Amino acid sequence: MLTRRDFVLGSGALAVAVSLPLRAEAGSDAAAAQAFVTAFLEVSPDGRVTLHSPTTEMGQGTHTGHAVIIADELGVDLERVSVVTAEPADPFRRNGQMGSGGSWGVRAWYQPLRKATAQAREVLIAAAATQWSVPAAECMLERGEVVHAASQRRQGIGGLAAAAAALPLPAEPPLRPKSELRFTGRKVPRVDLPAKVRGEPVFASDVERPGMVYACARLTDVFGAELDSFDRESATAVSGVLDVVAIPGGAAVVATNSWAAIQGAEKLRIRFKPTPHDKLDSATISRQMRVGLGEGAQPISARADGDWAAVAKAAERVVEADYEAPYLSHSPMEPWNCTVEFGGDGEVHIWAPVQTQDRNRNAAAAAAGLPAEKVRLHTTLLGGGFGRRLGSDGIAAAVVTARAVKRPVKFFWRREDEFGQGWYRPAQVARLKAALDADGRVSGLHVRTAGPALSASFSPQGLPAGQLDGSSVQTIRESRYKPAAFHVEWVRVDQPVSMAPWRAVGATQNGYFLECFIDEVARAANKDPYQLRRELLAHDPRALNVIDTAAKAAGWGQPLPKGRALGMAFVECYGSLCAEVAEVSLRDGKPFVHRVVCALDCGSIVLPDGVRSQVEGGIVQGLSAVLGEAVNIGAGGAVERNFDTYPLLRITQSPERIETIIIESGEAMGGVGEPPLPPLAPAVVNALAALTGKPIRELPLSRHRFA
Amino acid sequence: MKITLKVNGQSRAIEADPEMPLLWALRDFLGLKGAKYGCGIGACGACTVHVNGRAMRSCAVPLKAVVGDEIRTIEGLGGDHPVQQAWLEEQVPQCGYCQTGQIMQAVALLEKTPRPTDEQIRQGMNGVLCRCGTYPRIEAAVRRAADALATKVEG
Repeated sequence: MLTRRDFVLGSGALAVAVSLPLRAEAGSDAAAAQAFVTAFLEVSPDGRVTLHSPTTEMGQGTHTGHAVIIADELGVDLERVSVVTAEPADPFRRNGQMGSGGSWGVRAWYQPLRKATAQAREVLIAAAATQWSVPAAECMLERGEVVHAASQRRQGIGGLAAAAAALPLPAEPPLRPKSELRFTGRKVPRVDLPAKVRGEPVFASDVERPGMVYACARLTDVFGAELDSFDRESATAVSGVLDVVAIPGGAAVVATNSWAAIQGAEKLRIRFKPTPHDKLDSATISRQMRVGLGEGAQPISARADGDWAAVAKAAERVVEADYEAPYLSHSPMEPWNCTVEFGGDGEVHIWAPVQTQDRNRNAAAAAAGLPAEKVRLHTTLLGGGFGRRLGSDGIAAAVVTARAVKRPVKFFWRREDEFGQGWYRPAQVARLKAALDADGRVSGLHVRTAGPALSASFSPQGLPAGQLDGSSVQTIRESRYKPAAFHVEWVRVDQPVSMAPWRAVGATQNGYFLECFIDEVARAANKDPYQLRRELLAHDPRALNVIDTAAKAAGWGQPLPKGRALGMAFVECYGSLCAEVAEVSLRDGKPFVHRVVCALDCGSIVLPDGVRSQVEGGIVQGLSAVLGEAVNIGAGGAVERNFDTYPLLRITQSPERIETIIIESGEAMGGVGEPPLPPLAPAVVNALAALTGKPIRELPLSRHRFA
Repeated sequence: MKITLKVNGQSRAIEADPEMPLLWALRDFLGLKGAKYGCGIGACGACTVHVNGRAMRSCAVPLKAVVGDEIRTIEGLGGDHPVQQAWLEEQVPQCGYCQTGQIMQAVALLEKTPRPTDEQIRQGMNGVLCRCGTYPRIEAAVRRAADALATKVEG
């Protein structure tokens, strides 16, 4: 029987709450060491506060953002707050699901967390006031203590928590005025970093359970192929291998240590059933997508402002270009793994690096043959996510393996299988047209994208025929550019390659298409691309401010060292507006980015340094993708299977300087994890095109030769 | 077979396959979880540890090659090594998975080249991948650590 608080590895470094943090439970057990004052806040007798956060910490800093929000609203020092990801329960769900994506972590939870914390503060104050027989209105909570100034009494919240937990929560507690917020908007140290720089065990792959064995998967090389058969002895001949278990999509080799399991998986002779796409390759996919750009295809309209046909007919000239973007791998540095333990109490405990708690818990429950409530999902810190951990494709096999071997199992994929299972950023093509009138003004834009539907692959409910896949037109459909006519449409070209949202999702390829095309139009109209954007955004002061800020900081129009050029892009997604300017040259025929200036209007912010780190990360990941990333398809599977052939950006290729300008416009709080990424690719490509005079309509740049 | 390793100044005997990469001995046999598995082919550097003071990819070094050698892992840095302090001061990590490898690479770089130029920092750190994109802060932290170590020596 696991207790309320279970310390993995016995070190206390990775504290995983295994009790469902519902208030009623704490209230019914007044003697419990910890008291849940609300579903989110647990106060220990020494006054430490543990936030059970609805979000997954995968590096984006949300747990620190949440710690700041509650430290400020409650009135405690930041060092007194620790954060864990909650187990799935109603208070932590949005739209019925618990998960982290869409750059919602701070903006969606800012108000709910403030309110829940204010409720906790009010009952802690009420508990003290009752004890002292003074009016609650005369008490305040500061630095972790309730204080009654008139009688000079004070008590730490640790001693008040149990009494407070039994009090009714006020429905509408007052929120602290901005003047009382000590950490919000200031540079604060992240709560998760000390353990990370010491190398303490904080990741799922670091979890150990008594009697645990190790299982390495051997999965299909062809997307979606089912297991036919395997030769068990070919793996068990390896010293340390205990068993081979059939799992969805392949086999798991179980051993006494990771290395034996890996050796067994590599030596395992295994056959998969044929699929209709055993010969599929990238050239075929590209050809099929480009058919979707032609006359015979059936587009679904996503935007139809004005009369494109009339504008095109009246145009002095129509500029047209086709673009293509490849499949991309998320490649979080921690390959998929989780640890599964069936307890004697009929529950199964899983320690896993997942972004979607309900989706994974439900998948695990189905595989275990248990109701979801019997699956205790403990979300660890994640060694990267970027959208790859939104899915649940790895968890069922782990549960099946643990059930078969009747021991706690650490189940993991090799990097090769992390690459080989699909779930990529979609490949997509686009045809863009711009109508220019006699004065050289853009009178109309027409964009058709074609490719596989992300939602059809990723959403459990799929996508019915005839319906629009939002991410396939994301950011173009919502573009603030306002010519007289602006039509956007999409043609569905299904492929047997699974896909998952990749940091910034459809805005990554669509931002590249539209923003590079805008530069092509500017060249055709003999205009400065920044000035053309100003014309298209003339009605929109907020957007103008963003591009003006970036242009000014970057020195747009100023002389540059010889052999260098600037490129600009402006993309809006996840509630934030972002403009970037890249300064690029060619080194030994290869693009090199000297400097990136980013202007981000995300409304208002909680963690300024957190925003900066996300801007830097988005720019580096965006640069990695545009320079060299592509998953090519051959023989029905991924060609690139490790970092020797899939080149993630290295530090020597990183920009020499990144300058971030945060614009607090006071508009609704926007996302930060994703919006800085999409403008990077078009900014770099536009700079290269300015340098060479040639458009680049296919990514990555490593496919092109530069003189 | 029985293999004795010298890790962080201590002799540790384990029963293991001599072909097993050092990484798995550290993680599965010695409980030292700081070095990480990222690629298994020495291409990402998340598994970086020191062997006789040199940064090595422990996922690609068999045990038989390091018997008798001085092995140092992130756990052996003590927790408040100037490089670790610089990493906190610059708020480098995001997900953190590669950072133990980054820190071990940086420590080795600074032991060999105490006052590296910006280009030496970039070249010296080039073997360790970070998907979160912390490279600008890694550069700043290595510079900061170099300054701190120099002050310590001079002081």
